[in-house]
Amino acid sequence: MAKADNRPFALRTYAPEKLREALRRMYLIRRFEEGAEDCYMRGLIHGTMHLSIGQEASAMASCMELTDADKITSTHRGHGHCIAKGANVGRMFAEFFGKETGYCHGRGGSMHIADVKTGNLGANGIVGGGLPIAVGAALSAKRLGKPDVTVCFFGDGANNEGAFHEALNMAAIWKLPVVFVCENNRYGMSTPASYATAVPNISDRAAAYAMPGITVDGNDFSAVAEAVHHAIRRARNGEGPSLVENLTYRWRGHSKSDRNRYRTKEEIEEWMARDPIARFQADLIAHGILDQAGADAIAAEAVAAVAAGVEFAKASPAPDISEVTRYVHAE
Amino acid sequence: MNAINPETALRTMSYAEAIREAMALAMEADPAVVLMGEDIGVYGGAFQVTLDLIERFGPDRVMDTPISELGGAGVAVGAALTGLKPIYEFQFSDFAMLAMEQIVNQAAKLRYMLGGEAAVPVVFRLPSGSGTGAAAQHSQSIEAWFGHVPGLKVLQPSTPEDAKGMLLAALADPDPVMIFEHKLLYKTRGHVPAGRYLTPIGKALVRRTGTDLTIVAGSIMVHRALEAAETLVAEGISAEVIDLRSIRPIDHATILASVRKTGRLMVVYEGVKAFGVGAEISALVAESDAFDYLDAPILRLGAADAPVPYNPDLERAAVPQVDTIAAGARRLFRREV
Amino acid sequence: MPTEVILPKVDMDMTHGTIAVWHVAEGAHVTKGAALFDIETDKAAMEVEAPATGTLHHISAQPGDKVPVGGVVAYIYPADAEVGPMPTASGSGAEIAVEPAAADPHPAPTVQAAPADDAGSKPRATPAARAAARRANLDLADIAGTGPLGRVQHSDVAALVESRSVPAPAVWEAEGGALHVSHRKGDGPPLVLLHGFSADSQSWAPLEKALGPQQPLIRIDLPGHGRSPRRKIGSFAELARMVLDAFDEATRAHPSVHLLGHSLGGALALAIADTRARQVASLSLIAPAGLGPEIDAATLTGITRATRVESLAPWLRRLTAEPQGISDDYAKAAMTLRADPALQAAQADMAEVLFPDGVQPFDLRPALGRIECPTAMIWGRSDHILPYRHALAVGGDFAIHLLPGAGHVPQIECPDRVARIVARHMAAVTAAV
Repeated sequence: MAKADNRPFALRTYAPEKLREALRRMYLIRRFEEGAEDCYMRGLIHGTMHLSIGQEASAMASCMELTDADKITSTHRGHGHCIAKGANVGRMFAEFFGKETGYCHGRGGSMHIADVKTGNLGANGIVGGGLPIAVGAALSAKRLGKPDVTVCFFGDGANNEGAFHEALNMAAIWKLPVVFVCENNRYGMSTPASYATAVPNISDRAAAYAMPGITVDGNDFSAVAEAVHHAIRRARNGEGPSLVENLTYRWRGHSKSDRNRYRTKEEIEEWMARDPIARFQADLIAHGILDQAGADAIAAEAVAAVAAGVEFAKASPAPDISEVTRYVHAE
Repeated sequence: MNAINPETALRTMSYAEAIREAMALAMEADPAVVLMGEDIGVYGGAFQVTLDLIERFGPDRVMDTPISELGGAGVAVGAALTGLKPIYEFQFSDFAMLAMEQIVNQAAKLRYMLGGEAAVPVVFRLPSGSGTGAAAQHSQSIEAWFGHVPGLKVLQPSTPEDAKGMLLAALADPDPVMIFEHKLLYKTRGHVPAGRYLTPIGKALVRRTGTDLTIVAGSIMVHRALEAAETLVAEGISAEVIDLRSIRPIDHATILASVRKTGRLMVVYEGVKAFGVGAEISALVAESDAFDYLDAPILRLGAADAPVPYNPDLERAAVPQVDTIAAGARRLFRREV
Repeated sequence: MPTEVILPKVDMDMTHGTIAVWHVAEGAHVTKGAALFDIETDKAAMEVEAPATGTLHHISAQPGDKVPVGGVVAYIYPADAEVGPMPTASGSGAEIAVEPAAADPHPAPTVQAAPADDAGSKPRATPAARAAARRANLDLADIAGTGPLGRVQHSDVAALVESRSVPAPAVWEAEGGALHVSHRKGDGPPLVLLHGFSADSQSWAPLEKALGPQQPLIRIDLPGHGRSPRRKIGSFAELARMVLDAFDEATRAHPSVHLLGHSLGGALALAIADTRARQVASLSLIAPAGLGPEIDAATLTGITRATRVESLAPWLRRLTAEPQGISDDYAKAAMTLRADPALQAAQADMAEVLFPDGVQPFDLRPALGRIECPTAMIWGRSDHILPYRHALAVGGDFAIHLLPGAGHVPQIECPDRVARIVARHMAAVTAAV
């Protein structure tokens, strides 16, 4: 008689190498953003950037079952989603540096990293901008008879945009294969979600659009993976959209100009103690999927990849200023 | 020997029918083409443009959307980004303001922001213009707003033939295209060639040749300018009328060549006069070598500096009409009567 | 014996002139023909050239001083001559009464107060009227405007031109005969040079110097240009055939040549490389025509129509990135070369044929796509005549050198840079063979 499997969902569902790869990408997200922050402070990057440090489990666990044919839409805090979907950190750094070798040939910067060929329809500078686009991508899959799903990332701030409501409604009436993943990191810039949103949980909004809604611990890799797994299965079965709310926290400010006046040091430290990477790594070690040396190697590999990415970006050529209007239209 | 059949040689149909024929042709040829919009299904569209297409192509390809312009336009953008070729109908062009975010921030910019790695081949159809007594929120001509947005193409067909050819050209274009259809033109009739043909985007057309004055007009103003030009003949003024057809891209060469020839320029458009199409074309001429050929100041005729009024006389007075266009031309020759 | 410098009569009804500025200082060396001082008349500002080479002395009229026509204002001494006291003026022997600027004994009568909306003394005129007056060398102030508010319109200028029965431009009879070709001997395959519209083979001088004396050269003067016959052309294709004939004749002894063309010459070079693919080892194009419709035709017609340095210089200055790139002396020299009315007429005719309505109707983009020999394109980023974007928009395998700070004539503005690019390009081809 088979013994009941008590391991967390992710560990009993995914192969060990897939789990180790997930940990590697989470480390890569963390080191990438730290590297980006470092480059910013050294004056190598202009503009601003929105860091998702502390939210890596939400990004990675939501992408576990996606293929290159599946789509994601992302947000201004989208580096994690890009890396989770398989983006190359060298080309991401190159984009940060405004280089021709960047994902957007230096035209987009931090807020517009995309890789349409691998299903990443792009980060978006407009809060809520990606929601209708995700629904459109799901509509394409349905009309073209493809099994692809779209995972639509957005933050707690977007849930009060009209686009959120219009998008969820249309996805529901047409039963489209889209998974709305709300990364509730508690603040829309400085405004607490608890103040700005009339319902206690953003997933409560799902009821208005007759779709399942669930709120999970967004720093628990397995909890996120499980919720998104069920939503994707539902989408692929033609049963329509779902709303998954991942409760998480950004360790850094909203952007590089944030002075953190709306939250306390204690609150930040409390959330840092719930580091999603450390928790996932501990789980993998506890269940024998990884040993400490293996974890150290993965972490070191991420450091090296980020360093190589920065070097690639630095050495890359800048766009030709005579091509300022290139890519406005098809060539 | 094939005798020429006059029935087919001159195929007359309305502007709305021509648009419908273009949509049907495109949908037959390409399963990726889908129609989206409010009440375009069994209702047939607010102006009966889609009419019976739902019966021919079914509700999966002629999709009624909820009254959600922002969401609907965004869904069309997302679908265009991922393999469909949606034609999204705004019930009135005025409602496009609810969707500005998706049109301007997303559709127009995605290709550029993504460094050329994305295409958004969406077509927005926008019934526009005054003259129906629908007042200030259902009668505007806001095409120039979109002329200011790099990444968009903005068209204004004035005839059934162009309405069909432009829609097919828009569908063949890999970038977002906005087509402003004049509500008063939907029932106007004209020759429409059979089959698939593309009206080139960005190419103006000289609808009437003349030697003394260039009138640049778009959409319904083309017809009013042509009528005004006829009344001017008796006064010895030979007006050339250019149908702009495309606001973005704008056909510099045709306009400048005409101004070099005539030495006088009047721009007639239905949008509010200030900061409009007329300003752009005037500046175009003033900045070019055609400036040296100007033999009179440039004149713009646009809508009054007010929302479109309800009262029919006020509504008529608010936008250029045949008589005001003729009077404008006389001013350039100082032959007011 | 010093040479007198007088205030010349430069306008028909001129009696006095005011010194505007001296270009040469007292005691400084001056070369005959160089700009010496400017005078202002009622109608125009004019530059006066030095009548001799030597040292300038005895300047007797300062800027602002009004001097009667023919008055001596300075002397130029030969280099070795001794400068004595100021000689007595020759001519009528009359004392020259210089009227100091500050004490004009004959103030102009006060003009009745102009209407309030009067924009200074500028006549009200349409752009077309201004352009027509410029072409006919008429002063708008002399023309009565019949337009609204007294505006001078094109028809007013045309009527005046008609009434003055300005003699018709010199009748131009198209000539025949072979194009003029000049050779410079050297080692290796020669470089064939095709100049641009309104230029001639002499315009290659700075580049030739920069290329060094070893480079063999074959220069072809286009029809109606330089020392070639004033032949009539009916189309770009006809022009290309004419130049191809000259090319074939001149390069008969050379199985392999390098080819360099500028502007219109660039378009012709492209056409030749397209038809003589085996003979042309390398192609260098400086701001070539024929790669897009836009062209500043106004400048080209302005140059062909100019009959005086004053009207030529502003157009010439459009050719360079910086207006200072064209000195007054350069403009003067150019005007001298353009003095032949038959040359002007032939070129004006050619401009009509080649650039009708201010566009380039001939399109060499397909030819560029077919070219297989190594091709280098050199373009000034500040080219006002032909936009360098043409190079970016066209298909084909070629190197593009965009030169910052250069305009339409980089071979004159920065000959060393252009020569370096061309020499490297030719050397690379030779090395590869």
